[in-house]
Amino acid sequence: MTVKLIGFEVSPGVLSVMMTLHELGVPYQIENPASWQALKDEDYITNKHPFGKVPVLCDGDYKITETRAICRYLVSKYQGKNNKTILIPNDVHKAGLVDQYISYECSYYTPPVAKLVVEEVFHKTSNPELVETSQKEIDKVLDVYEKLLNGKEYLNGEFSLADLLHIPFTHFIFSATKHADWWNKKPNVKQWWDRISNRDCWKKCVEKIKF
Amino acid sequence: MTIRLIGYSALYPTLRVIICLKELGLPYELEPPASYQSLKDEDYIANKHPFGKIPVLFDGDFRITESRAICRYLTSKYQGKHNDTILIPNDVHKAGLVDQFISYELSYYDPPLSKLVYQEKFAKKFFNKDPDPEVIKQAREELAKVLDVYEKLLEGKEYLNGEYSLADLVLCPGTNYVYGAGHSDLWDSRPNVKNWWNRLCNRDTNKKSFEEIKSFWENLGK
Repeated sequence: MTVKLIGFEVSPGVLSVMMTLHELGVPYQIENPASWQALKDEDYITNKHPFGKVPVLCDGDYKITETRAICRYLVSKYQGKNNKTILIPNDVHKAGLVDQYISYECSYYTPPVAKLVVEEVFHKTSNPELVETSQKEIDKVLDVYEKLLNGKEYLNGEFSLADLLHIPFTHFIFSATKHADWWNKKPNVKQWWDRISNRDCWKKCVEKIKF
Repeated sequence: MTIRLIGYSALYPTLRVIICLKELGLPYELEPPASYQSLKDEDYIANKHPFGKIPVLFDGDFRITESRAICRYLTSKYQGKHNDTILIPNDVHKAGLVDQFISYELSYYDPPLSKLVYQEKFAKKFFNKDPDPEVIKQAREELAKVLDVYEKLLEGKEYLNGEYSLADLVLCPGTNYVYGAGHSDLWDSRPNVKNWWNRLCNRDTNKKSFEEIKSFWENLGK
């Protein structure tokens, strides 16, 4: 039975799950809810996501929500089954560090980047004050990433789920805002972004983005 | 070699890891940093946590940061080794749901909860700021909506995923603070949530950990 992914192909969370499915070679069908407002309907809240969010993944009768939990579940179940791609290493120490980098993405990287992307790309509003505070915050985070990536091609040495989860929001910065230079002026960060955004699986996802 | 945990037990992310270590039956040494300001020192940032945070865990030479990542690592490595406690089930579907509930805690439960923790426990004692009633009011309203969802999630269940798991553990330390700081009504007014919280408070590891923290705050006043 095919995996069913519920969401919109513009939501960064949905795009992260799509890329994970592609990377693991797992076929899937995407189901768009009727509208963003429909996510607050009683029916959606009861049967899909109790907090009215996307993505939601159905694997046969099994339903799971929350982007990072879905991605981890897919890795746990399908990694190594359809191809050799490793998104979370089997070694418990390496896996722990991937988890740590996922937490950095979630706690420090995504919040300021998402705020800016939502404002400029999804709401299409211009807010110079937000740009100024975002730049300061994002610059501090990217300074840390510049050091983390010293002598490394990816956050944990090899490509992993931790790198993947950074891609969708960053893609919107590069493709739909004027702030790519905040990343490009840091050599390790720039090379890392070039590397991860050029992955075949990401290119396939980009083709499917629907505003 | 004993596990070294760098952090302050009074700060609830550190306490999360302490409870996890206790649940798995793991001995550890707690090493409080020299001061809260020392977390921004170049040495700390280079050798402990690149974002200047706590907790940090050393397992021999292996260093790992971020409380939920640390808990997952400890569970991965040590679950079943010293006792029978299961924090993450072995079944991939059950484990996925535990992960989902940990994500609910991180995304929806913790944001308003942490605002209340700061306002009620830390603002005055550590930063000499009076609690802000407007922030408290908004955080309570947000948390109330989240707990309405939890009330439904807990219908017919003793714990979030049926059996006790890491998903319940991660929210215990913060909840203990807010519950005891005059906001117990948020939990007690919802029957499933109330029973669930009572159940969690009655776990030995939580009883011990909450007692230790109580002494910390009592001694702080002296």
